[in-house]
Amino acid sequence: MVAQEGPNQQKVNEAINELALKELNMKVNMIPMTWGTYNNQISMMLAANEPLDIFLAFADRFSTYIESQYVVDLSQYTNELQGAFEVLGEDAECGYIGDFLVGLGQMKERGYPAGLIVRKDIFDELGYKVEDFNVSPDDYSSFNQITELFAKVKEAHPDMICMDGTSIMGLQDLSYMDNLGSDFGVLENYGQTTTVTNWFESEQWKNFCQIGREWFTKGYLSQDIAVNQDSGELKMKAGNCFSFIANVKPNTNVEKLAQTGYEVEVIPLGDAMKNTNAVNSALISVANASKDPQKAAIFLNWIYTSQEFNDLINWGIEGEDWVLTEDGLAAYPDGVDANSVGYHNDFGYVYPNQFAGHPWTGNPADIWEQYEVYNSGITTSKAYGFTFDSTPVATEEAQLVAVRDQYWKDLAFGAVDFDEKFQEFNDALYAAGLQTVMDEKQRQLDEWLAAQ
Amino acid sequence: MERKKLSAAKLRQYLPLYLMMLPALIYLFINNYIPMAGIVVAFKKFNANDGMFGSPWAGLTNFTYLFGSNDTAIIIRNTLLYNVAFIIVNTVAGIMLAIFISDVVSHKLKKLYQSAVLLPFLISIVVVSYIVFALLSHENGMLNKGLFPALGIEPVQWYNDTTWWPLILIVTNCWKGVGYGTLIYIAAIAGIDNSFYEAAELDGANKWQQITRITLPCLVPSIITLLIMNIGKIFYSDFGLFYQVPQNSGSLFTVTNTIDTYVYRALVSSGGIGRSSAASLFQSVVGFVLVMVSNLIVRKASPDNAIF
Repeated sequence: MVAQEGPNQQKVNEAINELALKELNMKVNMIPMTWGTYNNQISMMLAANEPLDIFLAFADRFSTYIESQYVVDLSQYTNELQGAFEVLGEDAECGYIGDFLVGLGQMKERGYPAGLIVRKDIFDELGYKVEDFNVSPDDYSSFNQITELFAKVKEAHPDMICMDGTSIMGLQDLSYMDNLGSDFGVLENYGQTTTVTNWFESEQWKNFCQIGREWFTKGYLSQDIAVNQDSGELKMKAGNCFSFIANVKPNTNVEKLAQTGYEVEVIPLGDAMKNTNAVNSALISVANASKDPQKAAIFLNWIYTSQEFNDLINWGIEGEDWVLTEDGLAAYPDGVDANSVGYHNDFGYVYPNQFAGHPWTGNPADIWEQYEVYNSGITTSKAYGFTFDSTPVATEEAQLVAVRDQYWKDLAFGAVDFDEKFQEFNDALYAAGLQTVMDEKQRQLDEWLAAQ
Repeated sequence: MERKKLSAAKLRQYLPLYLMMLPALIYLFINNYIPMAGIVVAFKKFNANDGMFGSPWAGLTNFTYLFGSNDTAIIIRNTLLYNVAFIIVNTVAGIMLAIFISDVVSHKLKKLYQSAVLLPFLISIVVVSYIVFALLSHENGMLNKGLFPALGIEPVQWYNDTTWWPLILIVTNCWKGVGYGTLIYIAAIAGIDNSFYEAAELDGANKWQQITRITLPCLVPSIITLLIMNIGKIFYSDFGLFYQVPQNSGSLFTVTNTIDTYVYRALVSSGGIGRSSAASLFQSVVGFVLVMVSNLIVRKASPDNAIF
C-alpha cells in the first residue's frame, strides 16, 4: 500500500528484501498499490486465492473475510508475535472478533475527535485565538461561537466560503459515540454507556443537524457541500475556503500545512474517545493464501519492531529520499523536494509502527511521546476491545448503508429541511431492519461484557 | 437418403471453412464458455479454502438481498424505464444525425461533424459528471448563477430536486452516446445503392420521400441489430452515468438508483463474492431472455432481419 507510485519503489523493495534476508532470512515481495485501486484489487486477489501473505484488512469487511476464510486466525501464532504485542499493548485485543485474531492494528493516534481546521491568516486578521473557543456537545449553544466566527469571516470576505469539504459533526461517526463497527446501533456519549441506541434519532444528532441547517441556510457552507466529493484539504488548497472539519490529533497543523499549503489553526469540537474502531479500522492481517503462515507471522512481528523497515517503507532510501537532521527528524536531502523525490509516502497511519521510525521534519522532535501522552489521556469507550460480528445481520446492514447514504449527508449538512426529512430517514432505517441489528449488537455486547 | 448424401457432400465442400472456424471456436469456448462454470458461486456460501466448487451450497440466499429491500421496485423500474428511454431517444437521434451528416456535400465538413458527434462518446464519464456539475452547481453553476438570473427564473436546487433528473440523465446519455450509433448508421447509409436515389429523383420524389421510402427501409437491418443488442443490456445500467453524474446525491436516489448502483452501494462495504455473482447472474438471465424474446418477435414479423 503506497500513497503514490515513485520511481524509487524498486530500490525500496530491494532494500527491504536485503534487510529481511539479513535479519530474518526471508525474501519478501512487495506489491505496491494506491488507495484508488486497492479495494478492488485486494478483493480479487483474496477471492482468487492468489499468493499473498500480508495485507491490510478494513473493519467493515472482517466478517466477510472470516466467513469466506480469506484470513488466517493469528491467535495460533501468538508466540511468533510477542514483539508486536509488546509494542501494541492492550490495543492488540482489538484485533479479535470473538476468539479469532484477525490482525494487528497500527501504532497511531487512538482517538478521532472532530476539529475545525481554519486558515490562520484570516483567523489572526479577525483577531481570534484558539483559546477563545470552548466548543463541546455538552452544551450545544457553544457551537454559536463557530457561527459567530463564520459571520465575521463572511463579513470580511463576502466571496469566501466559510466551510467546505466532506465532513460536519453529524457525519463524524467516530468522534462523538462508539459506533461499534457500523453506524447502526451505537453507544452514545463517547461510549460511556452500555445500551445500544440509534444515533440518528438521538438528541445529539438532531442538534448537530440543526446547527448544520443554520450554517447552510445562512450561506456559511458551500451550497454544493452535500454533493461535494473533494476533501476539505483540497478545497482549502484551492484558495477560497476558510475552514473544514476533520479528525484531529497532536500534529494536525503540521500535516494540514503540507496538504493545504496554508498555515492552519485547529479548534477542537469535542473530546477524544478511544474505541475499538480507532484501533482496528484497518488491521494488518495474514492471508489464507499464505503458503507458510508461521513465517508470515514472524515477518509481521518484525515489521512492528524494525526501525529501518518503518523508515524505508514510509520515507524511502536514506541519503537519496531522506536524510536525518541534527534534531533526529527525517527531512528531504538538499536539492530534493516533494516533486522530485523518488519515494515518499508519509503514510504512517497505514504502516505498522511509525513510532519506531523517524518523524518527519516540521513535527516536534518528541512527537511520538506527545502521541503516547495523548493516547493515554483519552476517554475509553465501555465497549473498548469488543468487535461486532455482523455476519448474522449482513443483509440488514447492506440495506441500512443504502438508506443512510440516501439521507444522512443532506440532513447533517442541512441541505434539506430538517423536520421534513428527519422522521422519513428514521422510518426508512427501521423499515430496513435497524431494530434487528441493534438487538443483535446489544446481545453480542452483553455477552462480551459478561465475559470480561 | 437423398438429404443425407447432400449434407455429406456439403460437409466436404465446406470442410476447409469449418477448419478455419475451429481456432476461433476453441478460443470462444475457453474464454467465454468455461468461465460460465463460475456461475455456481452465485448459489454458494463461498470460502477460499474449499474453493469455487467445494464451498457449501447456499440455495437462493445470495439473491434475497436483491428482492428483500423496499427499494427493489424502484430500482427495477428505474433501470428498465431509463434504458427504454435511452434506446428510443438514441436510436431516433442517431438516425436523424446520420441522415443529416450523410447529406453534407463537403467531404471535409462531413468528417468534422462525424468526429464532433463521436467525441463525447470518448470522454470519460467522470469528466462528463463535472461538465454537468459546472452547469448545475448550486454555488457557481452556469444555470443558477448565469442564465436563470438573466431570464428572471428562480434558481433550482438541482442536486436535491428529483423533478428534472430523468430529463437530465436522458439528455446527458444522448449527448454522450449518440455518436456511436450515428457512426454505424452513416456506414449503413453509405452502403445503400446510389441508383435507388437516382431513380427516385427521376420519378420526382422529394427529399422527405427519399428518406422515408429508401433510406429508412434500408436501415432496418442495422436498426434491428442495434436494438436487439441494446435490449440484451436493458437490465444493466451505465454505472458512471447513474453514480457519477448525480454526484452520488442521496436526495436523488429515488430517480437515480439502478441495479448497478444499488449493488455497488450494498456491496462496497461487505464485498461478498457470492452476492455480487448473484446480481450479475440475475442481470444476465433477464438480458438473455429478453434477447431471445425480441429476436423471436422480429423473426415472426420479418424473418430476414432476425439475428438468429
